[in-house]
Amino acid sequence: MNAITHHNAIVADRGASGAPPVLEVERISKHFGGFCALNDVSLSVPAGGLVGLIGPNGAGKSTLFSIITGFIAPSEGTIRLRGSPVDTLSPFARARAGMVRTFQVPREFSHLSVRENLMAAIPDQAGEHLFDLFFKPQQVRIQEEQGAALVEETVDFLKLKRIADLPAVKLSGGQKKLLELGRVLMTRPSVILLDEPFSGVNPVLIAEIIDRIIELNERGISFLVIEHDLEALTRLVGRLTVMDYGTVIAEGAPQAVLADARVRAAYLGGPA
Amino acid sequence: MSYLVLVQNGIAQGLIIGLAALSITLVFGIARFPNAAAGDMLTFGGYAGLFAFSATHSLLATGLAAIAATALLSLLMYYAVFRRLAGRSAVSLLVASIGVAFMIRAVLGVSFGHGQLVYEIELTRPYIVGGVRVSPLDLKLALIAFVTLAAAFGVLYMTSIGRQMRAVADNSDLARVSGIRPQRVMASLWLLAGALTAIAGVMLGMKTIVAPEIGWEILLPAFAAAIFGGIGSPIGAVAAGLILGVAQELSTPLVGFTYKIAVSFAVMCAVLVFRPRGLFGKAEAVR
Repeated sequence: MNAITHHNAIVADRGASGAPPVLEVERISKHFGGFCALNDVSLSVPAGGLVGLIGPNGAGKSTLFSIITGFIAPSEGTIRLRGSPVDTLSPFARARAGMVRTFQVPREFSHLSVRENLMAAIPDQAGEHLFDLFFKPQQVRIQEEQGAALVEETVDFLKLKRIADLPAVKLSGGQKKLLELGRVLMTRPSVILLDEPFSGVNPVLIAEIIDRIIELNERGISFLVIEHDLEALTRLVGRLTVMDYGTVIAEGAPQAVLADARVRAAYLGGPA
Repeated sequence: MSYLVLVQNGIAQGLIIGLAALSITLVFGIARFPNAAAGDMLTFGGYAGLFAFSATHSLLATGLAAIAATALLSLLMYYAVFRRLAGRSAVSLLVASIGVAFMIRAVLGVSFGHGQLVYEIELTRPYIVGGVRVSPLDLKLALIAFVTLAAAFGVLYMTSIGRQMRAVADNSDLARVSGIRPQRVMASLWLLAGALTAIAGVMLGMKTIVAPEIGWEILLPAFAAAIFGGIGSPIGAVAAGLILGVAQELSTPLVGFTYKIAVSFAVMCAVLVFRPRGLFGKAEAVR
């Protein structure tokens, strides 16, 4: 097997075909008044899979992310996480269930330091209870130390150690993307939804982010990634889903999908 | 030397204003509305402390009883009123908090009358420090205030729930998708806000009198301190409370007791002209 074939085989494996789905989007539609933003959209992310979601601006990708994470209610359809419907769960409860997202324009707790941003997202700390703070200080202290150790591991992993004490507002765009990735990792997710992780990021940091995503995927975390940088995305994902005008127009292996005439017409500007 | 006495009184008054302002600024930063019930929560704390002090004559028991009672009242306010109005405009919540304030005052007035009650504190010989007479009670009250402030800042900056409160203040939508429990953060916020006003109420009651209107009268200076310190800035609220308290007392020989509050407001306005966001204000949220 030559190097290119070997690379393609590894990338294809990230589609995790055959694995049971961790996230299922079933026949989601969304109407804003008379405007149909999403029409009967279905897709799935297999456990351990790395799936890309592409489409021209206005195709409905970010709306779909907001519906999946519970910020917008769908007009029709169901979202399942590890086989169970999550339609009635709040965004917070979905995050606690293991489904977290990042944003196209990175969001951070601006005036908290990098470390504090990560610490704030650790779930189920004894120190979240005022009662425990005063009456179970030993348990709180032990968990704080465990949390701090986990944060140190994460800042090392994401190479943010040098800036770990800076307020997040002072980070560059690429560093904020890494911080977002770190923050979602602290929630112990099973599936991460990344919204344009390479947007506005310099090529060196893009390579860094790709390495980190692949490493996390190898640890078993599934990803659904919206991205316009097709070169970077095809290095990353094993499956692609393409949306246009609120519907799914193609899905499958990246090379096959990108060669699809409808995709070329809708997204790449090529002849249909 | 008399000015040192005024400064001493100003610090005591400033700590009361600062504690109330800290409660206001925390609620504003996290729950996003100006809580006009803070003054009457303070009054409630003053009454709760009064009864505990009458029963125990212990400052520690008085402080703890006032904190427990007022924190519970604060939590009840949240669950009964403010939680149900979550998502409404800040003006709606402000008006609701004014209604809650009137209810607390009315219940206190009906229950205990509108007369002035006092903490029956035994007279003690003052310490003479550099020629200035310092009351042991003032020292104890200042110590209680500093311990309360240290505990509040410790919770805010050194604990999980404090980080989560600051995270919600910074970006509430992001906090929700990061798995931060909004209900728990809000419940903790109201418990903390209640505890702060309780200690302010006990201090004010011990320094002056206890009556249903005492909290209403301190509300405006407390709001002024929250704005002066930079709305949403906990450190700013306390610092501004101290500055306003000392400015009020130092101006007393010049303008008299009646107008001393006006002088502190003049100081606040002068600072805000040059620094519109207040002393420590960067943005409208707890940082």
